[in-house]
Amino acid sequence: MSRLSFRPRPLDIHKKLPIVKSIKDFEDDEAPASTRNSQLLRLAPEVDSEPQQVPSRRLAAEIPTPQFDVVDTYERDYSCTFNQPTSYLRARGARAELGEFVEYDLDNEDEDWLSEVNEDQKILAPEMLESLIFKLEVLDHKARERAGVITPLGSSISVHLRLDAAIEALQAQPIKYSVLHSVYDYWKEKRERWQKPILRRLQPPPPVNDTNPYNVFRPREKAHRLHTRRMQRRENNVQSFEKLRQVRRNLDQAKSLLEALIKREEKKREVMESEVTLQRMQMKYKHETELLEDSLALPGYLPFSSKFGLSEEEFFDYDDVMTSRPHARSAHVPSLPSYDANLPMVPTVSTKQELKRRYVPHGWPHKLDPLEPVLLFTKPLIPEKLAMAGIIPPSDSFTKNGESSPQYKFHGRIGRGGRIIFDRWNPLLQMPIDCGNSYYTPPKPRPSCN
Amino acid sequence: MGSLDTPTTTENGSAPVPGRGKAPAADGVPLQAARDVEMASEKPMESDQSKKRRMALLPLEVGTRVLCRWRDGKYHPVKVIERRKIPTGDSNEYEYYVHYTEFNRRLDEWVKLEQLDLDSVEAVVDEKVEDKVTSLKMTRHQKRKIDETHVEEGHEELDAASLREHEEFTKVKNIATIELGRYEIETWYFSPFPPEYNDCVKLYFCEFCLNFMKRKEQLQRHMKKCDLKHPPGDEIYRSGTLSMFEVDGKKNKIYGQNLCYLAKLFLDHKTLYYDVDLFLFYVLCECDDRGCHMVGYFSKEKHSEESYNLACILTLPPYQRKGYGKFLIAFSYELSKKEGKVGTPERPLSDLGLLSYRGYWTRVLLDILKKHKGNISIKELSDMTAIKAEDILTTLQSLELIQYRKGQHVICADPKVLDRHLKAAGRGGLEVDVSKLIWTPYKEQG
Repeated sequence: MSRLSFRPRPLDIHKKLPIVKSIKDFEDDEAPASTRNSQLLRLAPEVDSEPQQVPSRRLAAEIPTPQFDVVDTYERDYSCTFNQPTSYLRARGARAELGEFVEYDLDNEDEDWLSEVNEDQKILAPEMLESLIFKLEVLDHKARERAGVITPLGSSISVHLRLDAAIEALQAQPIKYSVLHSVYDYWKEKRERWQKPILRRLQPPPPVNDTNPYNVFRPREKAHRLHTRRMQRRENNVQSFEKLRQVRRNLDQAKSLLEALIKREEKKREVMESEVTLQRMQMKYKHETELLEDSLALPGYLPFSSKFGLSEEEFFDYDDVMTSRPHARSAHVPSLPSYDANLPMVPTVSTKQELKRRYVPHGWPHKLDPLEPVLLFTKPLIPEKLAMAGIIPPSDSFTKNGESSPQYKFHGRIGRGGRIIFDRWNPLLQMPIDCGNSYYTPPKPRPSCN
Repeated sequence: MGSLDTPTTTENGSAPVPGRGKAPAADGVPLQAARDVEMASEKPMESDQSKKRRMALLPLEVGTRVLCRWRDGKYHPVKVIERRKIPTGDSNEYEYYVHYTEFNRRLDEWVKLEQLDLDSVEAVVDEKVEDKVTSLKMTRHQKRKIDETHVEEGHEELDAASLREHEEFTKVKNIATIELGRYEIETWYFSPFPPEYNDCVKLYFCEFCLNFMKRKEQLQRHMKKCDLKHPPGDEIYRSGTLSMFEVDGKKNKIYGQNLCYLAKLFLDHKTLYYDVDLFLFYVLCECDDRGCHMVGYFSKEKHSEESYNLACILTLPPYQRKGYGKFLIAFSYELSKKEGKVGTPERPLSDLGLLSYRGYWTRVLLDILKKHKGNISIKELSDMTAIKAEDILTTLQSLELIQYRKGQHVICADPKVLDRHLKAAGRGGLEVDVSKLIWTPYKEQG
């Protein structure tokens, strides 16, 4: 039993199973197969709840069934008139479509009534009665269709065919009026007693929600017949009206959302275009200034495209700056539009010396100092604006000594958030103070300088 | 099958019943009432105790358990399901609808009093059955009692409540016999014919269009005008005298409905709840110069969501045990192969249906295993045969051919073992010759 303590893995139907041809292959395995297998049976997934029927053949012989007999009139009743064609038989249209076939067979009460009518003489042949009842049924059905009366089985289905209409339709029949009249009366009485068409084909199906098991052949519920799109058509009621209204509301909302979105994207595009125009102007100016330069052919000169690549970030930054910075709010100052205030390349400084200092050394417009780290999102301070805002840059104590370009010690810039930042300087060591700021990279010469 | 031999039995049905002298009454059966003593005393000739006691039991209550002489001449235990007065007799004469507790419900029948052994009456009337007659509303306790006592073989796949409901509505066969073409056939089960047919016990079917009538003359008149000699569909298979027709339930509604009414007489768990337009009917016929005579059929949903390739299957009783059922099953799988799908029959399967399917699956799978070289997966078997993987698993497992060895499943295909199983499964009756099947799957039909 201990061998059974492990669970056989459930069988994977995609896994290739070895076929063992001989029982000898198992001989080294002493465990009886049946016990393990019975366990397997219990574990097998989705094993049918069908009873495990054992020796089937014996059982089959023992299942008794009711009996049958041969009908002695068979060979008389069914004629030998069938010639099987050599090709496979094809279906013809249904009887209802063919038209001439009398679908109705007399029932017991029809026969009884007929024998009463006929008594000894032959007034009406049974075949004629079948035909008449069949025609009355079809005419009545058509009358009901014309009247647009649709009733499910269960409620009574009234007769719509009136006598005069019936007589008129049937006058071609070779029957006396009086006989026709009594057939109509008989049919009408029977039809009203049944409260449904006598011809089974014309009887409506029971309603879908009828659960009486004696009523049969109901149409499938709607939920079951969503096979095609046409069948999924909505119903025409308040519920679907509400649903459709909801759909309309949703679509309207989506529409206004999209319109707002379009507006926003157009604005963005405008801003972008202005930015590009601006860049072009800057490049133009730069080229003009370069013409003035002696050191045009500096090898470390960076192509403008790299600057251009930054433009988007700058643009966003610019956006922020424009809306949030107090500095920008002073843009109304007429002599110095804020637009210009943020443009490092607009030559507000006109001396050649100044230009050279700003642009030339490494071709990086922002850079005022070769030692200054590359801070891509910052903007340079503009002394005039600082003055206007009443900010005095820290004075340089080393100015008097004058040896080593003291004006660069306290360079300031406008940080990303719009703050004004000055680098700290250790006056004793004459070195920048590294406060462990991660983006402050220690000054080192750019590779292009080598 | 546990039938009780009685000493007086000689030939089938020739046992003299009322005088079956087991003289002194079996002890322990209490007398039920004294009101019939007077009646009994009218016949002073045999005024012995047992006679009196027997008369006192009459009429038998619904639910009584008693022994009844069956067609084999032997006495079998039965339960009285229903009783009714015999119209032409004494006002106190009844006949009884009994269920042979050893057999399937298909053998339930109306019997005369003389077939019952009144000495064997168990006096405790089965209240549950009586209750069912009058009302369907039962306490939970009563339901449970029925659940415990009432589950029979062949119904295991239905829950007890729906089984009870099913049995209540189909308790008594309405039609006892039918005439269909050459044969007069005893019916097996209730079938919900239209209410106009409530008053009759025998129906006459036209063997071609399957219209049913109450009188023989009506059938004879119908046969003169009936314009069909074969099922009203396309012939899709012909081999010798055997032909298969495909009938669309939507195009031939009345034929489909007639076929369902007829089939229900022989199928216990068939429902006629939904209309036939979503089904195709495959009607198998034997053909001669009188026409194509239906021997059986199977129905199939046009679009099955559960990959059923067969809904109902029936071989008519005169043609049973001749291999037609196996042919129908094989045919249903050939259609599935043409569709490129695997299929499985809709459940529940009847006792006879399960036997046929088990036999078919066994034969098909073992024939492959005998010949196959190398490893094979259940999925591959399924693709080759169009049999659903679950059915393959249960078949192989019930034959103990799938075993768990050294940490993996193997198929044990010892030729001797396979031959033994194949022999037990019986040979498949008639072979389906696929080259003679000319058929387009419904989906692709215009």
